[in-house]
Amino acid sequence: MKILRLSLFNLKKNKKEAMAIAFLTLVTTLMLCIFIANNSKSSKVFDESFADSGSVSEMVIFEEAEYRDVYSKILTDEYNPQNLKEIKTLFVPSVDVIEYDGNAISYNMLFVTEKTERKLENFTKRDCLDEEEISNVAHPIWLPQCFEINTGYKLRDKFTVLKAGKEYPFEVVGFYETGLAANDGYGYKVIISDEDYELFVQLFNGMMASEYRGLAFDYEKDFPFNEYLEKCEEKSGENVKNNSYLFSKSREKNSETQFVDIFLLLIVFISIVTMISAMFMIRHKISNDIEDQMQQIGVLEALGYKSGEISLSYLFEYVISGGIGAVLGVLTAILLTPAQNGVIRSMMGRDIEGRPEILKLIIVAIAVVIIVTLFALIKARSVKKYPPVIAFRKGIKTHNFRKNVLPLEKAKGNINFRLAMKGLMQEMKGNIGIAICIITTGTALLFGLMTFGFFKNGTEGLMSMMGIDVEPVVVVLANGVDPYETAAKIQEDPEVEKALVSYDFKKLTVSGSDDAGSLVIYDDFKDAKQFAPFEGRFPEHDNEVAIAVKRADYEQRAIGDSLVLEHNGIKRSYIITGTVSSLYNGGSAIYMTSEGYRRIDINARPNVVNVYLKDGVDPEKYEKKLSENYGGSAKDKVNAGAEDGTLEEKISAKAEEKIATLLTQYGVTSVDYAVRIGDKLITGNSRNFVIKEIRSWRGMIKSQMEPIADATRAGTLGAAVLVIFIVFMILVIISASSVKRQRKNLGIMKSLGYSSKDLRRQMALKVMPVMIVSMVIASVVAIYVNKVFWSVMFATIATTDIVLIIGVDIAMIVLAYIMTYIGAGKIKKISVTELMTE
Amino acid sequence: MKNNRSILKTEKLCKSFSNGGRQQHVIKNLDLEIREGDFTIIMGASGSGKSTLLYALSGMDKPSMGKVFFGDKEIQDFSNDELAVFRRGNCGFVFQSIYLLENQTVLDNVLTGALIVQKNSQELVKKAKELLKKSGIKEEMWNKYPNQLSGGEAQRVGIVRAVINDPKILFADEPTGQLNSASGQDVLDIFTDVHKNGQSIVMVTHDLKTALRGTRVLYLRDGGVVGDFDMKPYGTDNIKERRSKLTAFLEEMGW
Repeated sequence: MKILRLSLFNLKKNKKEAMAIAFLTLVTTLMLCIFIANNSKSSKVFDESFADSGSVSEMVIFEEAEYRDVYSKILTDEYNPQNLKEIKTLFVPSVDVIEYDGNAISYNMLFVTEKTERKLENFTKRDCLDEEEISNVAHPIWLPQCFEINTGYKLRDKFTVLKAGKEYPFEVVGFYETGLAANDGYGYKVIISDEDYELFVQLFNGMMASEYRGLAFDYEKDFPFNEYLEKCEEKSGENVKNNSYLFSKSREKNSETQFVDIFLLLIVFISIVTMISAMFMIRHKISNDIEDQMQQIGVLEALGYKSGEISLSYLFEYVISGGIGAVLGVLTAILLTPAQNGVIRSMMGRDIEGRPEILKLIIVAIAVVIIVTLFALIKARSVKKYPPVIAFRKGIKTHNFRKNVLPLEKAKGNINFRLAMKGLMQEMKGNIGIAICIITTGTALLFGLMTFGFFKNGTEGLMSMMGIDVEPVVVVLANGVDPYETAAKIQEDPEVEKALVSYDFKKLTVSGSDDAGSLVIYDDFKDAKQFAPFEGRFPEHDNEVAIAVKRADYEQRAIGDSLVLEHNGIKRSYIITGTVSSLYNGGSAIYMTSEGYRRIDINARPNVVNVYLKDGVDPEKYEKKLSENYGGSAKDKVNAGAEDGTLEEKISAKAEEKIATLLTQYGVTSVDYAVRIGDKLITGNSRNFVIKEIRSWRGMIKSQMEPIADATRAGTLGAAVLVIFIVFMILVIISASSVKRQRKNLGIMKSLGYSSKDLRRQMALKVMPVMIVSMVIASVVAIYVNKVFWSVMFATIATTDIVLIIGVDIAMIVLAYIMTYIGAGKIKKISVTELMTE
Repeated sequence: MKNNRSILKTEKLCKSFSNGGRQQHVIKNLDLEIREGDFTIIMGASGSGKSTLLYALSGMDKPSMGKVFFGDKEIQDFSNDELAVFRRGNCGFVFQSIYLLENQTVLDNVLTGALIVQKNSQELVKKAKELLKKSGIKEEMWNKYPNQLSGGEAQRVGIVRAVINDPKILFADEPTGQLNSASGQDVLDIFTDVHKNGQSIVMVTHDLKTALRGTRVLYLRDGGVVGDFDMKPYGTDNIKERRSKLTAFLEEMGW
């Protein structure tokens, strides 16, 4: 009974500490519950949604013109695919879309017809118009479920495709469940009418878009795509890798769940931080309690209580405070279930249903309470160290041979500083605990803020990691157009800083590698902005390449090694001169000079002009101007023709459509036409059709990554705020309890003439070395964690914002001083009289 | 040693405490002067307000009403921090419970009190060592912690700590209260020596042997001074006669 009373007394006496432990246990339990509840949820949701769609598990697509029947035969003969079907799809990378809210955005898109969709999956409809309504829509489009879930599309919204300066307005007639091509990775599959599909094939084919032949099938394991392509290349003698893509269930799942996994990783990280903080608080509190109640412990022992029984008395309060925290944590987790589902729903773009699995959450709570109790028990066993006689002496053993650390006799400087350092050395054990706590929380804080800083300006940070120059407006030229002449003309524009000729979307096979190399080609890499080698240098000669860091890591390649590239049976060896931190095409990039590229592809002709604009020039306005000057005239005429233009305008528009087709699909380089209607002559030519495509990497990255950047920014900021709160809560509590514990010494110091300010300053100064050392260690650990995070998650080298780290370190140290000073505020209330009359 | 200059003065000094909602007046309208160079002893029955008066005089505690003059400074309205700074240079304290800092060695205990006032470490260390030696604390004890000292040794360290800053006045609250007779006498000898060197002392005691060391005895009853008895400095007169006179005074006071 006495023991129970002691527990309750401790709980009452140190309410703040007990509340802090309850809070930390609450956060730990909540975070672990979120992790446990959602860890398998995303995977389960994907599997169920995929199964509901009835989708095939794999789809290999080949550019129609490059497709050979032997590819299907190889698949059938050697891989035993199930439910093999052939389909056709129009794959359009980086197509601009004007969304229902008027914003333009870039997507990779696969256009299919309903017939194709039914071959691929069940065509499971969600919200949609009825058949009669759909039949009245001129250009109907079915969007995958994620558009309804994430982007706020509704039925009858406009979905306007922009291609080569022309607008193709669709009307949303429904949403459907799709298994493959439901995310930003390779693209979104949308269903359009047979007529629109045919029109698009005719208009877009060759204009950075192609019709693809697809082989759709079920496959039990992960389909060995690269091995299959090699076999295809072997049999056909053609370069297949440049013209083929794999859509697979495993890739889709990985792509959709990747950010959920990162989110959950962050949650686990926070739970570890809070758990360590909780343990530190427990350790701190038990040490204080034992020290305070030493004589009482002695009395209990003298009365016959075993030290084990006394240790148990300390457990009771942790079972209570930890238990309250754990129960509240579970309740909060349950209450937050809809919010958790909402976050995952928007991250994956799939519907999530589900109630919390209460049993699992209860197990988590019990586990947390058990860990807390066990830790408390281990710490409370230190009571054993104090048999009655020693306890009566307040733990001081008869012979005390403590070394006098930092004797005042030898110390120099301000007395407050000297005493603070002396106190620091005397409390080394406790300080190690504080240091571990600060290192853990500091690491979490710095990592959170580094990630926040990276996403602070939306996707700008990501752009710097792309490993390509995202700044220029990429102008893809029509066939036969002289790139150098066009670049020279573009450069005359006063808004243009420079116009560089390059190549578009080239890939080469890398000998001994499963991953084809996506080429980044420059005449001279000194012209490249926004990316620099991570190690070594960019290639300068035709036998040199630089490679992405990921490729270097995965394939164990180093600077100075040789890299053999293959193209149409030709093999050329290159020396690796550098590595580049690059997200481009999954870290498969290879950087080479134009001459280096022509060494392996002698027929290569540049077809892209990268236009760098002067500061202050709006890229969107400039793109519009380019379209008007070099190929945008058809846009207005087509639109006018489609709606209410005159007969002449309609004829001109139709003629220019035909010219576009001739230029893009048939290699025609110049067309003139004349049409006579009565006495009217309508004439035109192809001189305006210089541009096939205008692309903005910046826009595409922004559209694909912005929601993730926003979510990460919010998540990391929230985590950072929580961690800051925990750090300062701990510092204030330690400081306050330290005042309580040292009340007598502080009273004596006051009698000697030390003012409250002096003593508070000593308290705050005492924390400084611990804080400084801990934050330095935390900075090093955070830089490492950040590097590992970016390397594992994105296969790039993380940028280290030293200014941010130093800034946060200084801010934390200064704030720690202030918070400890504030926490020690009760020193003011200590009176010497109270000391003398106690 | 004795002169008529007052070092401490009170005017209408009152100190009361709240006791279960009731005000308990411990010091009532006290007008008092402490003379420079005196070894003033405050005596009285338990609860007569001896210690309360000592704290009020020393600026350790604020009076409820009235004034306390230290030289020409009024200290009763000082803030706690101003009082702390005031105490540094002016007052030394010796407590019944000694109150050495348990986590500091003997020498560091002395220096902790001194370094807040004086900045020259080397001189201070020399002075501290000299004072410790003089007080009978041998060199091998200097690096020991308080729990390794006897009560008498600890109190001698306490006195050294109190006088190292050459305070204008030394306050002592029953400094021999926890010591055995022999240790008590050793400690009182130190006080006597210190006083001989011109140190003003105000000491609270209820022990006759201790009171004999003083040059002036104030007797407190019901919150006021009811008796004021002067003596020659200790050792300058016949001890038996001194004892009988003081005893007679105290008996008269109802001690």
